[in-house]
Amino acid sequence: MAATPLERIRNIGITAHIDAGKTTTTERILYYTGVSHKIGEVHEGNTTTDYMEQERERGITITSAAVTCEWKNHRINIIDTPGHIDFNIEVNRSLRVLDGAVFIIEGVAGVQPQSETNWRLADRYNVPRIIFINKLDRTGADFYRAFDTLKEKLDIVALPLQLPIGIEDQFVGVVDLVEMKAIVWEGGELGAKYHDEPIPADLADKAKEYRQLLLDTALSVDDAAMEEYFEKGDVEVATLKRCIKAGAISGVFRPVLCGTAFKNKGVQPLLDAVLDYLPSPVDVPGISIAAEEGEEDGEHSDRRRIKADPSAPFAGLAFKIINDKYGTLTFVRVYAGTLKSGDMVQNTTKGHRERIGRMFQMHADKRAEIKEVSAGDIAAFVGLKDTQTGDTLASSDDPVVLERMAFPVPVIDISVEPKTKDAVEKMSLGLQKLAAEDPSLRLKTDQESGQTILSGMGELHLEIIIDRLRREYGVDCNIGAPQVAYRETISKPHTEVYTHKKQTGGSGQFAEVKIVFEPQERNAGITFENAVVGGSVPREYIPAVEKGIKVQAETGVLAGFPTVDFKYTLVDGKYHDVDSSALAFEIAAKACFREGMKKASPIILEPIMDVEVTTPQDHVGDVVGDINRRRGMIQNQESSGSTVIVRSHVPLKEMFGYISDLRSMTKGRASFTMQFHHYDPVPRNIADELVKKSA
Amino acid sequence: MSAPRLHWTRGRADEGGGEGRTLEWIGLDDAGAPIARVVRLRGPTLGDWRRHAAVPLDEEARIIELRPPAPAGAAWLAYIGGKVVGRAALPLQAVRTAEAALAGRGRP
Repeated sequence: MAATPLERIRNIGITAHIDAGKTTTTERILYYTGVSHKIGEVHEGNTTTDYMEQERERGITITSAAVTCEWKNHRINIIDTPGHIDFNIEVNRSLRVLDGAVFIIEGVAGVQPQSETNWRLADRYNVPRIIFINKLDRTGADFYRAFDTLKEKLDIVALPLQLPIGIEDQFVGVVDLVEMKAIVWEGGELGAKYHDEPIPADLADKAKEYRQLLLDTALSVDDAAMEEYFEKGDVEVATLKRCIKAGAISGVFRPVLCGTAFKNKGVQPLLDAVLDYLPSPVDVPGISIAAEEGEEDGEHSDRRRIKADPSAPFAGLAFKIINDKYGTLTFVRVYAGTLKSGDMVQNTTKGHRERIGRMFQMHADKRAEIKEVSAGDIAAFVGLKDTQTGDTLASSDDPVVLERMAFPVPVIDISVEPKTKDAVEKMSLGLQKLAAEDPSLRLKTDQESGQTILSGMGELHLEIIIDRLRREYGVDCNIGAPQVAYRETISKPHTEVYTHKKQTGGSGQFAEVKIVFEPQERNAGITFENAVVGGSVPREYIPAVEKGIKVQAETGVLAGFPTVDFKYTLVDGKYHDVDSSALAFEIAAKACFREGMKKASPIILEPIMDVEVTTPQDHVGDVVGDINRRRGMIQNQESSGSTVIVRSHVPLKEMFGYISDLRSMTKGRASFTMQFHHYDPVPRNIADELVKKSA
Repeated sequence: MSAPRLHWTRGRADEGGGEGRTLEWIGLDDAGAPIARVVRLRGPTLGDWRRHAAVPLDEEARIIELRPPAPAGAAWLAYIGGKVVGRAALPLQAVRTAEAALAGRGRP
């Protein structure tokens, strides 16, 4: 694997909204680069990267798949990611380890909600990206309108490198603004044949105008290129490409290409653009090491970075885990160093050592054994005993911990139980393995009912998990109705003093704590401050207070939901030389929480979803009326040809089973997508109902 | 009438860390005399604030802001002599603005 020089490697992701054509584009890439000898189609269920049974049956991508191909003497490692929000964890972890990304935007609808969400994720990880406006063969496609949505919705400087020649069924090729030529695809050969020709006369003026915009924007990042332009009145193609790459990596602007992957037009220039404008592992500044304990993420951006260097001590990040019949496969992005089968590494996140067994280069579900991996590679390791997604593997010569990964918070719960009693153990084992693969899936046991509760990102996510449990682990389950993952918080500050005193003969228990509880803004989590002065609570008992609050916060005082977004400050307390202990302080903290929270105006929060319904004009009234009935707030409506896109915020509780209602209301002509947006307090009547139910 | 072509050369550069981007391009006529300039307006900016008419945004004046700020999308000013003849978002656009203004008033 180390044979390809680093500057000729590209680690890229392909990401977009559902059905924008990610898998279709990946499939063409594999065909044109000679990896596949025929093109698979999503609707026929025979694509390379959608290899799971569920993916092929449903025609959607569920898990990200890694494939490798060669193009013009470069190696491109590609990760095809899911579009559905329920599987957003896959996009999250892929973007975290990639050096660049291709964002596919639909030529009819333009930027859609999931594109926006993924775009923000890529912003978080500073991933350089290029944009491909796809499906220009579709009825209603409009390159310029889709291009405008890039600026409106993503607030970016989008820079066209191509213009379409024709549109819808007349779309035949693109104008290449870098080399000022037309590229036209020939019929047959599945788009493998294309040729250059002069720019069509009717596009000459437009091409000239956009070429000037390209020069104005791209050259502004490079003074030497400006000088070349002043001298010659134009620049060499190599100079322009250098400027575009610099701008794409720094994010000053985002290059835009176009085509139709399904009709096999535009994919080869997209591959050229991946080589020309997306960075190799040595073109990026390197991954940061993790923040120190207590240091905010994003603070001190001057933290040390690990540069891609095969001769440096080894450093890699485990970003995905798969369990199959052969064992556990751990996908690792190698940032520095070289590793051979049988080598020992440290899991620096957990602080133990791991021996590397066999190593594989993955091609979707197929694997090729390799003996060595180096900086810049993505590979799968077998034999790691206790390494989870997000863990760092590093050499003991430089035991760094790399920047951690952030995982989304589950919003929906269901209870599961096996249909037969003897399957209890199998179910538990299966769920544990599935949860190890998927950090957005959480398991817990309901203390009162003893039931296993699965928490996930949406109905589809949990449905797939139950289906995998049946197919891969042979466990049939009964499942409860989906439940909303409510949260509790407080709305005003309160100071509570609690004394725990127990005397039952022998040494007793004594602890007193005085804690200030304060609300925090949404998503701030739980913050602890120790403001004890003069040792009124000895230092060794502080962790027990923290533990007590942490445990008790899992069960809120109103209806038993986890309590979030509050700060607690331990300001004072009392102890006894003989009777105080860590346990006594933990008990006191728990009781203080229970009493204090009740007086801090507790409220229940519910997840609010960002819902986008695409409906024919005739049904807009029905759709809007129905959203209002579901306690939704319409955000805006936008016409796109004969269809209307209605955007709204609706409580998740009201969205269960929405798809069947929408279908019957619009005779199956409307569709919708939704994703988590924020938590909001539930209305009083619903809060009362929840409290009553929990009593 | 096409705009006259000047000979553009680098002027002042950003003296902050990094590779020091050019903040000013000077347009010279055929005799080498400077007759036009395009200048990048900056703000908010960091440090060195005594040179500018700037407003500190924090107590230690680590962050200052030029007021009035550069209008959005018009960070480059085109000058002829000492007079502003136009604004543009990008330096090449400002260069064209300056050259077009020269054409309008007759080549010097």
